[in-house]
Amino acid sequence: MAIFKANLARARARFNSGRIALLGLASLLTLFLTLPLLALTLRAIPLGIDAWLSAATLAALQLSLITATLATLIALAIGTPVAYILAREQFRGKPLVDTLIDVPMVLPPAVAGIALLMAFGRRGLLGPALSVWGIELPFTTAAVVIAETFVAAPFYVRSAKAGFGAVDRKLERMSASLGISNFKTFFRITLPLAAPSLISGLLMTWARALGEFGATIMFAGNFPGRTQTMPLAIYSGLESNLDSALALAMILVVVSFVILFAARAQSPKGLTLG
Amino acid sequence: MLSIQIHKQFDAFALALELNAPQEKIIVLFGASGAGKSLTLAAIAGFVTPDAGRIAIGERVLFDAACGVNLSPQARRLGMMRQDLALFPHLSVADNIAYGLQNKTRAARAARVRELLALTQLENFGARNIAELSGGQQQRVALARALAIEPALLLLDEPFSALDAQTRVDLRRQVKTLQQRLRANIFFVTHGLGEAVWLADEMAVLDAGRILQMATPREILRAPKTARVAEIIGVKNILPAQIVNATTLRVGEMELRVEPHALAPHARGMLCVRPERVMLVRPDSPNAERGNTLTGILLDEESDGDTVALRFRSDGARLQPTRAFDLQIDVPVYVYERLNLARERHWRVALKPQALHLVTL
Repeated sequence: MAIFKANLARARARFNSGRIALLGLASLLTLFLTLPLLALTLRAIPLGIDAWLSAATLAALQLSLITATLATLIALAIGTPVAYILAREQFRGKPLVDTLIDVPMVLPPAVAGIALLMAFGRRGLLGPALSVWGIELPFTTAAVVIAETFVAAPFYVRSAKAGFGAVDRKLERMSASLGISNFKTFFRITLPLAAPSLISGLLMTWARALGEFGATIMFAGNFPGRTQTMPLAIYSGLESNLDSALALAMILVVVSFVILFAARAQSPKGLTLG
Repeated sequence: MLSIQIHKQFDAFALALELNAPQEKIIVLFGASGAGKSLTLAAIAGFVTPDAGRIAIGERVLFDAACGVNLSPQARRLGMMRQDLALFPHLSVADNIAYGLQNKTRAARAARVRELLALTQLENFGARNIAELSGGQQQRVALARALAIEPALLLLDEPFSALDAQTRVDLRRQVKTLQQRLRANIFFVTHGLGEAVWLADEMAVLDAGRILQMATPREILRAPKTARVAEIIGVKNILPAQIVNATTLRVGEMELRVEPHALAPHARGMLCVRPERVMLVRPDSPNAERGNTLTGILLDEESDGDTVALRFRSDGARLQPTRAFDLQIDVPVYVYERLNLARERHWRVALKPQALHLVTL
């Protein structure tokens, strides 16, 4: 009898109205998020081989892969020591530095683009100094890399900082007491233990750089083969070559999904951007 | 000779520690939390720099403020083992043990690891992950890792306090055996009196950053130097006393016979009586009339399962007239039951002179 009553109560709970409303909302949201991707996929599947392998598509793909990878490597080289210092050292003005490094993540890309122009443009802050050396950055492939680094590097710094911060300092002290130098300790203890966060940060940075649009188009322009990355090619393709745009869009969807999935698998606590 | 002098001033705490101990022994630093034990270890290991002092193991000087010597933690070659172990979670058992041997050849490293795995009875665990091991096994890995570098001194910081009682006793025994086999210098820090007494060749009682007494554990238990030491080592009865003559004290309203001491008449001191050394005698027992006895009642009791702590109050002359009771008496549970103490509350207690220890103020 008691069991029967309990079952009845459980059945009621399962079908109570609050739960139904919640499930309904969740399904609606999931549908809303999936529908555009589904629509895109349905259009991309029947595309002919020339849409996927057209010269324009391949040029954009190649440029995107190279610039995003370069931006990620720059973030790795410069961001790692920065992240380590932010995780380990206390200094005056640290909250300010922390915030400044995060700003590009929330900044509208158009603002990033105009800010980069003001800094490195021909009439920007450093423009005259650079032109003395014969360097002109805007509207070059280098400008694409700079724009992508500016927008995407904070993702790596945040993730790496969290990773270094989570390494127990007792382990580093223990390593020291066993006679191992601080330098070796970093590579044998700190780095391996922070590695999952570093890798997930690199993946996020790469994905963000790959998708960069606003800052790139303002600071580097939209020149096929030189500064026209995939998102820019999609934008142009809407008017001239929709098939190619669809193919590139589909590639970006798949890449994003794979990256997020891989980053989640790397990070022990699931994906966090903090 | 292990020679340690450390002076370090903090805002609200000062460490002022001086300690000389023989080598190849287990030295136990015993004290409550907050006494400065871990700070002392950090200073010896080189993670905290004293304001003044000198730390030397035999001829080898690790720190000397006067000469400006301050070896880095790496250069001190001390093995450390902490309560939280700090094992490297991304390395196997064997790699953890080999960690401090990075400048040795691969073959020498492997041989040393095999030796230590055998020594700590972990022969088949070399390839395991740390997380797969039990608490006791992890402790043994931490011990093996510290021993691997053949430390000049092994620092053990409450290494067993997170373990269950049985594992703790096993490991304690292993540490003692290993120490005797390797003739290692061990500096062991603990807040457990039983552990301290069990392990120590020499025991230092630390309180508020100072060493109050250093001696063999037997000596400290038998004759604590001050009332504070007596309190720290669990002497429950510490009574103000006045000297009458070389063998007699006045305690409260009573005169007690004690073993001969060197204090002058009228001097004041504290009488320490371990609660387990108070004897219960039946009130009608014929040989109870030999002085140092009180007749009274058992007021109440507390038990931890092994021992019952009884509070006794004299009916006649009192030892502590201002308090509710005169003595705490500890008896094992089986004695409590055997004597039927739950029912029979009227007793005579005897304080034998050899159970009484007098300390100066």
